Amino acid sequence: MTEVLPNFRLMEPATVEEAVALLNETPDALLCAGGTDLVVQLRKGLAETGTLVSLSGIAALREIEVTDAGLRIGAGVTLSQIERAQVIVDGYRAVAKAARSVAGPAHRGVATLGGNLCLDTRCVYYNQSHWWRKSNDFCLKYRGDTCHVAPQGNRCRAAFSGDMAPSLMVHGAEIEIAGPKGTRRLPLAEFYHEDGAAHIRLEHGEILVAAHLPPPGAASEYEKVRVRGSIDFPLAGVAVACARTPEGAARFSVAVTGTNSKPLMVDVPGDLPPHSAPEAFFAALEKAVQKAVSPQRTTTIAPHYRRLSISALTVRLAKRLT
Amino acid sequence: MMVTAKTKVVGRPVPLVDGIEKVTGRAMYTADLDARDALVGRILRAPVSHGRILSIDTSRAEALDGVRAVLTGQDCDKTYGVIPIAMNEYPMARDQVRYRGEPIAAVAAQDAVTAARALELIDVEIEKLPPCYTPAEARAPDAPQLHEGKPGNLEREVHHTFGDVAAGFQEAELVREETFDCAEVNHAQMEPHAALAEYDAERDRLTFHSVTQVPFYVHLMLARCLDMDSSRIRVVKPFVGGGFGARTETLNFEIITALLARKVGGKVMMQLSREESFLTHRGRPNTQVKLKIGMTNAGRITAVECEVVMSGGAYAGYGVVTILYAGALLHGIYDIGNVKYDGYRVYTNHPPCGAMRGHGTVDVRHSFETMLDRMARELGLDPFAVRRANLLKPPLFTANGLMVNSCGLGECLDRVEQASGWSERKGKLGKGRGLGMACSHYVSGAAKPVHWTGEPHAVVSMKLDFDGGVTVLTGASDIGQGSSTIVALAAAEVLSIDLGRVRVVANDSTITPKDNGSYSSRVTFMVGNAAIEAAKALRGKLIDAAAGLLDTAPEDVECEGETFFVRGSSQSELSFHDVAIAALAKEGTITVKGTFSTPVEAQGGKHRGGAVGSTMGFSYAAQVVEVSVDEATGQINIEKVWAALDCGYAINPLAVEGQIEGSVWMGMGQGLCEETHYINGLPAHSNLTDYRFPTIAESPPIDVQIVESIDPLGPFGAKEAGEGALSGFPPALVNAVADAIGLDVNFLPVTPDRLLEALIKYRRAARRKEAAE
Repeated sequence: MTEVLPNFRLMEPATVEEAVALLNETPDALLCAGGTDLVVQLRKGLAETGTLVSLSGIAALREIEVTDAGLRIGAGVTLSQIERAQVIVDGYRAVAKAARSVAGPAHRGVATLGGNLCLDTRCVYYNQSHWWRKSNDFCLKYRGDTCHVAPQGNRCRAAFSGDMAPSLMVHGAEIEIAGPKGTRRLPLAEFYHEDGAAHIRLEHGEILVAAHLPPPGAASEYEKVRVRGSIDFPLAGVAVACARTPEGAARFSVAVTGTNSKPLMVDVPGDLPPHSAPEAFFAALEKAVQKAVSPQRTTTIAPHYRRLSISALTVRLAKRLT
Repeated sequence: MMVTAKTKVVGRPVPLVDGIEKVTGRAMYTADLDARDALVGRILRAPVSHGRILSIDTSRAEALDGVRAVLTGQDCDKTYGVIPIAMNEYPMARDQVRYRGEPIAAVAAQDAVTAARALELIDVEIEKLPPCYTPAEARAPDAPQLHEGKPGNLEREVHHTFGDVAAGFQEAELVREETFDCAEVNHAQMEPHAALAEYDAERDRLTFHSVTQVPFYVHLMLARCLDMDSSRIRVVKPFVGGGFGARTETLNFEIITALLARKVGGKVMMQLSREESFLTHRGRPNTQVKLKIGMTNAGRITAVECEVVMSGGAYAGYGVVTILYAGALLHGIYDIGNVKYDGYRVYTNHPPCGAMRGHGTVDVRHSFETMLDRMARELGLDPFAVRRANLLKPPLFTANGLMVNSCGLGECLDRVEQASGWSERKGKLGKGRGLGMACSHYVSGAAKPVHWTGEPHAVVSMKLDFDGGVTVLTGASDIGQGSSTIVALAAAEVLSIDLGRVRVVANDSTITPKDNGSYSSRVTFMVGNAAIEAAKALRGKLIDAAAGLLDTAPEDVECEGETFFVRGSSQSELSFHDVAIAALAKEGTITVKGTFSTPVEAQGGKHRGGAVGSTMGFSYAAQVVEVSVDEATGQINIEKVWAALDCGYAINPLAVEGQIEGSVWMGMGQGLCEETHYINGLPAHSNLTDYRFPTIAESPPIDVQIVESIDPLGPFGAKEAGEGALSGFPPALVNAVADAIGLDVNFLPVTPDRLLEALIKYRRAARRKEAAE
């Protein structure tokens, strides 16, 4: 059944607790926020459900709050709100830039932070119609037993393609998850898992409700490699944050998306001391990124290109922030 | 009719007459038509690239509640196709499937969910055959043969030689040869395919609505494939959301929808998904060009040798014409006497290619203009100077017999050279930024249509009735290009009446005259001329009536601004209404018609295939593209484009401007980022996130210049405006990249990954060279 939006029940809880309860009562229920990705998935037969639990009616998810501990961004905040929020533009530039780089303005008007953090992984063998996937004997991620990207391997290589995660990660974000047993918090980087078929650690019945950022402390940037200046998912994307150590050295934090099944923090080769010749440092940083990422044939654009361009972009951003 | 200083309506920018419906959302496209009592049609598509159908069992699907009809290839044994000598496609495959996505069965059901479920219940057994995806594979000695009687999978080979090519190369002071590889592209028109068919079983009549550019050809193919008398069929074209060649031939889903409607004895709506629209394809084929050019030190071209191999996909479609166009349009732009052309159109196991904006010429023009630039560089000549050294001086016939009566290419060159600040800025923009230029041309309609009946090429009817309204009846398909506006403007101009008095009724086979359709940029030239003829006939009747009222000879009657008067006298002016009433009193409702036929001398050379490329007039274009290149990521940014087009005369400058911008934009897509990409025959590109046409973020400022060479045969002097400016963009882009970073590339599109890879090789080679020195 391709390209036909299947029938479903739409539930519209007013609170997070109600939403959690609904999810736990309905084993096949799916969460829907902006729907910009999910509706496409439903049409393509990549998600099947009789029940959609909409988060649109939960006002508490749509708040951006400045707290003593920093900033709390509700999972239901739209990307266009994030790109325009002054507190984010001023203190967490990479986050605002990442939001602005997602899809097109119409998508960003409804797409949410939570949706982007929980975005399904993408692959040229997966994001296709039912007819297409069936003609290709399906794949490891859905209904099949082979990963066509890496047939020798035993895991799905689909690429995480959200733009928001790395920008939050370089600012040390944590996420807040509500579930039947209450809420829990964990560093955003630990939310993800290097497996394209099971890349986020969210149990059924749990809802990502917010991201928490510590007080601003670093200048940051985000850029993505893409063919077009709009619409495209990242072929690779990188967030870089730069803070000053008490000694005046530049301390970089680098996170990458689009190259692996999860967004990853890159092991940066130490700090860049003041008044030192930076060339060797940036060359080492470029190498570190190239080593950290493992882009696969998940898009029609060659993996080698994604590796080279994202490492070059990383250095460019790092230089800009130095 | 020639343009004069006195024109009142034409030559002024006018919004399209059907524009309001579109921008307000009131326009009804095929998928918007009333389908409340229609069944939903769906197509089952082949899962393999090449195979023999062993069995199709539809019994489980037929048994499903809500399913009203299931069809397979066995329900239609008639082939279809746009070229009478190359109809080798069945609406649904019968014995052999030749590409993944080829229709093999279809259902009509009460709703979309049931139809989709029914497709899953059709049991198909196919024996796989080895596929071939590239011309090299298809032409290999042991390749499987896709079609009977086509050894080597060659659909058509063309070998044309004009002049003395060997002598031309002897005369040359610089000879260069290069090969180019241009990716397959798709039209990606905004509106996905759709058709609505209603069969009246009691009266054996079919009413058919579709997204087509060619309702007449659809009419013919429906009659053929349904084995119906054509008088029992009515074809209507509603608003169409773009064509660009995707709909210039009857498409399989159209015939399938009609077959389903007849089977159920009712109404069937078929709406294809974006993926299915891509699978229906008919785009520009992957084209490999081997080009050799000889040139004197002064930049005169002395000889050209060109070999073209096109990967045509699984069926003939327009293929014969495409491979002929590629050779024919080596001519008609520059003064070249010695030309050898070898073309090979090859069958492969991919969706069939077809006609696309700039049909046949784009990839060859790309190669040609790129090489001219490189040879100019080698000779120390300015790229503009090389073009100027080879300009045509009409009237003339080209070496292959194409008629050229007007050419404003020289003025196009002057305009873009000046507007872009070329001479002051070229080579001085610094590393990473550059300017490139190129020229292009296109036909204003094929002088001999693919379906030759001997009838006039265009007929327009006009009606004047008691209300004083002028109704223009035309079969010309407005697909967004503005053809209805052209006929309205022509009528208003000739009749000296307000544009608001004219209504255009188009594209209903029961009402409007036959028209071949909107392709090869034929409509303005042919239908425009026919509209002028019709309006002249009506004007004659009105002048006669006015002469009677004014008691003078018709020759002495003037008509201007909806009034009639005796020439040189300002007394006794008559209103349009008074004259119309007098004219109607003589004969009642007045209907007139005008026709247009192409002159024999315009119909091309006498050699086999000589009709392709023949036209009444060529449009000419020159453009300059300014780029900046990011050498770290391979990203190209188009900073600005200057485009000049000689369209003969701009009947509606606003529409011409839009067409030039659209051509530039589409050329930019092909140059920068558009391409199809198949994985073992499965299209990996069949959605608008992976088929990357440019977005508004990539759209540069476009400086448009309109050049008017006033063609002696064109309506008001006009030629085509919708295609000519496309094929100059990709070479101007590649030339600009060379100017920016010193790197020559021989592939399209110049995507960031390809460019970066080429840069790495280029740097490596440079290092090696340095080390050797």
